[in-house]
Amino acid sequence: MDVDRVLAGETDAFEGIVRRWQGPLVNMAWRYCRDRSRAEEMAQEAFVRVWRGLAQWRRESSFSTWLFALAANVYRSELKRFPTVVVPLEEIEEPVSASNQLETLADQRRYEVVRRAVLALPLRYREPVVLYYFHEMDVGAAARTMGLPEGTVKARLARGRALLRKRFPHLNETGATGTDAVPRTEREARE
Amino acid sequence: MTHTADRKANPEGRPASQLAALDRMLAAEEELVPSSGFAAAIMDRVREEAARPAPIPFPWSRVAPGLVLAAGVIGWGAWQTMRFVGPAMREFAQNSPQIPATMLPQLQQAGWVVLALAVSWGAWALSQRLVRRSGPL
Repeated sequence: MDVDRVLAGETDAFEGIVRRWQGPLVNMAWRYCRDRSRAEEMAQEAFVRVWRGLAQWRRESSFSTWLFALAANVYRSELKRFPTVVVPLEEIEEPVSASNQLETLADQRRYEVVRRAVLALPLRYREPVVLYYFHEMDVGAAARTMGLPEGTVKARLARGRALLRKRFPHLNETGATGTDAVPRTEREARE
Repeated sequence: MTHTADRKANPEGRPASQLAALDRMLAAEEELVPSSGFAAAIMDRVREEAARPAPIPFPWSRVAPGLVLAAGVIGWGAWQTMRFVGPAMREFAQNSPQIPATMLPQLQQAGWVVLALAVSWGAWALSQRLVRRSGPL
């Protein structure tokens, strides 16, 4: 395993870890800041911290859990030091229904507007939302990454989504495209 | 940048149309591909760090006797202070000097002057400190 080789003093083996995890870490950073070059800078910093702290991985949790938790810490403190410039949530326009011929383009535009709105959420609500979707809608993984109890993450996630729904009430009523009605998911109902 | 809409919108094997609109929008995330030099840049930094000599550990074995000695001296000083100051204070309270009544108003005024001087000095010192902290204009 690359980790063991790095710990044995083989510096070049770290490249295997970087190549394996560069995509997830850059994408995770991208979700935190939505700025490509900054996302790469933040991910690079996270990898350097991983390098420095590799011996501290206790192997009680999986490597990915430890890695994402460390990266989330780095991203959080980076964003506290230099906050992302965002448009306030109230000033973001609600996505409108698409016309037929431009549906795909309009979809992308609407999706982007909603993601920008996530960026405008306070960090304590933004982070659970970002990680929940980053971890493919897994509250447990998001909680482990944040180092918080699942209940806390669920509560913050619900609050974050409530803020988004309040801002975009149209998304509650229909499937946002205006073409299909979308029922609440079971997961959502449980929360 | 590749757009992979709806790639992750379906974690429960549920048709995308059954996911809430908000879920669908947030789950259908764009996927960034790290730039080509990304891994190389990290490895450069890592190799640079690895080549650096290890930090010199703090010489606790040399410092410890000094720390113990200093703690002993401070403790001894505190003990001696307690030993002598207590009785001295009691003696002073019992034989406090008698001040004539005619001198009391002058002493009071002198006290106010000293207080005013202290406040002025404090304000000056604070302003100097603030100027130093904010740096040159």
